[in-house]
Amino acid sequence: MTLLRMAARNLTRQSKRSFLLGGAIAFGVLVVTIINGLAGGFIHAASDNFSHLLAGHIFVEGREKTPSGKVVQVIRDDSRLLSVLEQTGINYEYLLKRSSFTGSLIFEGESVTLRIDGVSWDEESYLKERLILKEGSWETVRSPKALVLSEEMARQLGAVLGDLLLIQLETATGQQNVGEFVLAGIHYDPGLLSTVSAYASLATVSDLLNLAPGEYMSLGILLPDIRRMNRLADRYTEALLEAGLRLLPREKNLLGFGFFGRTRSDLDWQGMRYRVSTLNDYLSQLTQIINILNLIGLVILLILLFIIMVGITNTYRMIMYERTREIGTIRALGMQRRGVLSLFLLEALLLCLFGSAAGLSVAGIVMGCLSLVNWGLETPMFLFLINGHLRFRLVIWQVAGNVGLVSLLSLLGAMLPARKASRLEPVEALNLSK
Amino acid sequence: MKRPLISTILFVIAAAVFSAEPDFQEILADIDRMGSFMDTDFSCLLTMVSQKPAESSNIQQARMYRRDREEKSVILILKPEVQKGQGYLLIADNLWYYDPESRKFAHTSLKDNFQDTDAKHSDFEAPALAENYEVVAHADSQLGRYPVYVLELSAENEEVTYPFLKLWVRKDNHLLLKAENYGLSGRLMRTSYYPSYLRIGDKYIASKMLFVDELRPGQKTQITLKETSLNPVPDYVFTKAFVERANR
Repeated sequence: MTLLRMAARNLTRQSKRSFLLGGAIAFGVLVVTIINGLAGGFIHAASDNFSHLLAGHIFVEGREKTPSGKVVQVIRDDSRLLSVLEQTGINYEYLLKRSSFTGSLIFEGESVTLRIDGVSWDEESYLKERLILKEGSWETVRSPKALVLSEEMARQLGAVLGDLLLIQLETATGQQNVGEFVLAGIHYDPGLLSTVSAYASLATVSDLLNLAPGEYMSLGILLPDIRRMNRLADRYTEALLEAGLRLLPREKNLLGFGFFGRTRSDLDWQGMRYRVSTLNDYLSQLTQIINILNLIGLVILLILLFIIMVGITNTYRMIMYERTREIGTIRALGMQRRGVLSLFLLEALLLCLFGSAAGLSVAGIVMGCLSLVNWGLETPMFLFLINGHLRFRLVIWQVAGNVGLVSLLSLLGAMLPARKASRLEPVEALNLSK
Repeated sequence: MKRPLISTILFVIAAAVFSAEPDFQEILADIDRMGSFMDTDFSCLLTMVSQKPAESSNIQQARMYRRDREEKSVILILKPEVQKGQGYLLIADNLWYYDPESRKFAHTSLKDNFQDTDAKHSDFEAPALAENYEVVAHADSQLGRYPVYVLELSAENEEVTYPFLKLWVRKDNHLLLKAENYGLSGRLMRTSYYPSYLRIGDKYIASKMLFVDELRPGQKTQITLKETSLNPVPDYVFTKAFVERANR
């Protein structure tokens, strides 16, 4: 305890030097914490946006190859998929049956290209819990011709509730088709979704795609706990294979092949196949980017720490020379070599912890301020934003690891001068006049 | 007694001859034959003028090479300058688009619009109406000064862009003058006009085409063909390497 008090007092004795050295440590911790927070926030925002957009955490897509070799995305009969799901005992929050297409929505000469998702309004409550209607009601939205648009899309088209809109699209087999929708709901922009998606009845969307009644394109399974996603997807895949269903191999980097486009596994097979994928398969490329970002953060931290370490070594060598007589005195008063070593190291550790705490505090303030800024939805970064705002997410072990690393390197930096100081003989030290 | 009998027989024969319906499927095959170059290569300069409401006209120029017997074609964009170097290569059912910016080829579809015009990629290829469509209704009519057959077609497979077509075909030489393209829901999506043809050997190719978007009032594209030629095109033209190098 005495040592601790002495170390703290020594730090305050040279407040300017301590402030500069601590400030350097704080700056290093600040930069790395912000990079880590940003990287964590990116992946969190992207997961959130994608699970919302793709409607689920685990997905099953049906792919049927026609005699001409064309691949049609369709689930014609989901009874076995659902019975196997029940048998595996996977606990899910929602089952989301979806058909979707990207087409041109036309109103009075204006047109926008957007994705329309077919939603079974009566069977699922997932979307109703997340979308907030600005205009219209859920009752009118249930009509077969009803379309729900974001306020931004409605504004671009100049359409108001009750307007008749035309949609130009390609059917599941690629033929041209035109449909009509009535604007029945306008929802508040929920971030990413507003620019890429609109909602209509599943039956109508499937019909426009020329799918038979009851057929749809993909089944989304929304889990209560995203962390179990991969394990449960593997379990479901095994169960489907045991049930005799033919599956396409899992594809990683699905984003790299185009969002809903053809993948390598579309090539060499015939008939009907299913593909199980998870949100991670879509995000794996993003995860790689995030990992690179974290690595860059670590490299920056190491460079900064190396500079700081050299600074600490030099500073403590100077401190040792400044305090030679003092060291001689306390050694003469009975302090052992180990005590002197501990005093120096404790001083370095305290400096590092105070610096880290300051760095973390400032990082918290900076991240808080940055997350208040609305970057809008037009930015290319929109995928990583939640409602236009940056989100920072720090993992406690990562923060602890950074502080631990800073502490370790600071101790290493102080070790050499501390050992030298501890080896000073009291008589020699007292004889040295300064 | 003999004369009325002969008259009756002659009348029946004449009635049968004049009332006999033409083979409409054969007319479709005629249209296909006239627009396909199976014995020679074909090349031309395409000028496309697209109009959209509240926008100035967009003019594009492209060079097209076709080898119908091998189901190959190449289209290279020449103008505007900003799009120069873009190109399309079709081999059988595979259509690639080359982007000089990224220097990459991307798969695209014959059913997609050509550039930002109202024409589809399939509008530039050899027609295959007889193979893909069945005539489900017909009528006689007049289009301008030409007596025409109005044929209603329904697609026999899902490979075509439009599931339903309505064609106005000249009775005398089976040239296609007008076509209406319908979506699966039966709604009119586009009207195509072919007001003038060029005769090249025994083939006819529409030298002017007008595509009117029926969903977006005021939006249309006029395409003119010039510098048409049946001269042989070197084999290397129908390769990715050529599309990549051309216009560089």
